[in-house]
Amino acid sequence: MQTSVLILVLVALTVVGFYLGRSRSVAVAGGTAGSAQLHSLPSYYGYLTAIWCGVPALIVLGFWMAFQDNIITHFVTADLPAETAADPGQLGLALNDVKNLVRGNITSRATDPAMVAAADHYRQLQTISRLALTVVILALAIGGIALSWKRIGPALRARNQVEAVVMVFLILCSTIAIFTTLGIVLSVLFESIRFFRIVPVTEFIFGLEWSPQMAIRADQVGSTGAFGAVPLFAGTLLISGIAMLVAVPIGLMSALYLSEYASRGFRSAAKPVLEILAGVPTVVYGFFAALVVAPQVRGLGEAIGLSVSSESALAAGLVMGIMIIPFVSSLSDDVINAVPQAMRDGSYAMGATRSETIGRVIFPAALPGIVGGVLLAVSRAIGETMIVVMAAGLSSNLTANPLEAVTTVTVQIVTLLVGDQEFDSPKTLAAFALGLVLFVVTLTLNVIALHVVRKYREQYE
Amino acid sequence: MDTVSVENEVIMADDGIVKPVAGGRATIDRDNRETVGDVTAKNPRMRCREVSVFYGEKQAIHDVSLDVGSNEVIALIGPSGCGKSTFLRCLNRMNDTIDGCRVIGDISLDGDSIFDTKMDVVQLRAQVGMVFQKPNPFPKSIFENVAYGPRIHGLTRDKTELEAVVHTSLDRAGLLDEVKDRLGEPGTGLSGGQQQRLCIARAIAVNPEVILMDEPCSALDPIATARIEELIDELREQYAIAIVTHSMQQAARVSQRTAYFHLGDLIEIGETNQVFTNPHHQLTEDYITGRFG
Repeated sequence: MQTSVLILVLVALTVVGFYLGRSRSVAVAGGTAGSAQLHSLPSYYGYLTAIWCGVPALIVLGFWMAFQDNIITHFVTADLPAETAADPGQLGLALNDVKNLVRGNITSRATDPAMVAAADHYRQLQTISRLALTVVILALAIGGIALSWKRIGPALRARNQVEAVVMVFLILCSTIAIFTTLGIVLSVLFESIRFFRIVPVTEFIFGLEWSPQMAIRADQVGSTGAFGAVPLFAGTLLISGIAMLVAVPIGLMSALYLSEYASRGFRSAAKPVLEILAGVPTVVYGFFAALVVAPQVRGLGEAIGLSVSSESALAAGLVMGIMIIPFVSSLSDDVINAVPQAMRDGSYAMGATRSETIGRVIFPAALPGIVGGVLLAVSRAIGETMIVVMAAGLSSNLTANPLEAVTTVTVQIVTLLVGDQEFDSPKTLAAFALGLVLFVVTLTLNVIALHVVRKYREQYE
Repeated sequence: MDTVSVENEVIMADDGIVKPVAGGRATIDRDNRETVGDVTAKNPRMRCREVSVFYGEKQAIHDVSLDVGSNEVIALIGPSGCGKSTFLRCLNRMNDTIDGCRVIGDISLDGDSIFDTKMDVVQLRAQVGMVFQKPNPFPKSIFENVAYGPRIHGLTRDKTELEAVVHTSLDRAGLLDEVKDRLGEPGTGLSGGQQQRLCIARAIAVNPEVILMDEPCSALDPIATARIEELIDELREQYAIAIVTHSMQQAARVSQRTAYFHLGDLIEIGETNQVFTNPHHQLTEDYITGRFG
């Protein structure tokens, strides 16, 4: 049976299991009137039966699908000529060809009889496996129903068992995200370690020159490779700094206006509009920065006699700042609204004006939350890629002048990994090291920010 | 003192319900919505005439006239939703902060209308202080809480003067002895009763003429309540006080005059003694004998 058909049959069996379990519980209790004797509602017995039917079968199915190929391959390897099996490279190629033969694809070279035999064996094993799988799964599903059917009685605590299964399921779901994060961190970490074997950590962190082109041939000129990441950190800081200079005041002021001054009608209209900014794709911001803002900045600079490069940190930072405004304003608005009305009343009743109330009571009370929001925005700015790729340039200048082109950590990661790359040269591995640094920095900022926000929340509860 | 005599006459039964000494003598019918009793005070500080309050289309208060006199405590009682808090909040224009709230009628402080363009709401609230139901100290130090008013109104010239004001205010609020060694600690760390006295200290630090109290003891335990009530009685020597309360015992203990509100109307106003022992209006009698509300 095809796997998809098998799964459909399994689903059908599970549904049948549910109804069987439910009707069995009612029957055991002596009709609907007697169902009060049951420990749980009849439907819980149904769910329990369905679980017994579906879950073990699904688990076995999953494992079977995961390991079937490996096991079959293992058997087939034994068929291949000994000299092919001895060399891992040759073996890989041969196995690939066998699989291609099985699927009827074009093979990489002329097929020899040994290969064809192996392919036949492979096909045969697959058929056996599929048959065995069908039998095992159906047996498990029906066995599960039967077992559960036998256990159903007034004393069976079906509700508790179903709840326990639901809890386990929820735990599994939540750990998927955690393990994914862990997996990403580990993969970045291991690649970084490979990079640091070639380039010393100290050179990476303290080096002042970034020029990741490695010589591919011995006689290549001008591609020595230098992996000092300081210019990238400096560029990232410069652009993030400009972005925060734009976003924090504007975001905060608009949050204060919306939460303290604006009428209800204006607020309900303006807040969604402001949040639309957050929904604009960053790539749109990127070409807005590169095609509109950067030339404007350059023109303005030239008008007052400054030389501005056409890709400047200023243009990228300005646009990134605008992108972050809704982030800052929305988070600040939340914490400002969380300041209890009693505080405002208390202040107004003392004869304080609005601005006095905001400056002396609301803002100090909301400050920890605002700081938390700003830190989250900073980590957003540091990790932002598209805008800087388009508007900030690629040249790694170590400069504090916002009118020059700079490059950031994220931009370099993009340029290092775009296109065909060899994955064992320091050039590409450097991307992982940069990614690791980026991850550590944003993680630290987020942890601090969340801690600050949580501490603030406790204050009023 | 008349508060004491009131307490003697209004006999509290074991079940805690105030029972008028001579019940069932009210002569004015339930349907009469006119105010019964004398709305004027001997030395009026605040004078309200035909005040109506609207929340959007809904009228919360109908033509209420009432004086708040010097050196007296006037208690506003009545069932929930009767408009007593709304009325109180008119007196320092706190209703301005509520969207869609409209006040018409005339309210004057020492003869000047509080709605006059000459009357700045900042100045009004400096003269008419307010204490809220739930203690609401600012998340600042005890010192800064009390210094808040003097600072925003620029009442003191230097730090020594400010410290003096803070100390006197805390002293008058009966809190100084408990906190004088820890003025730098946050005001939110005090107990509920202490917080409420801190809020009273904060209100009197700007030297107001009138203090409005909106159920100041409803979040406090009986001991803290007793302290606040004592304090109210002491503060009466210097300020005019209007207090909203749900506790009739409290109204009887602290006030000289009592106003009974019902569904946005001022039903009866009179000496506390008289309102509790010999209410003229049937609604008042129903309320204080515990028949409803």
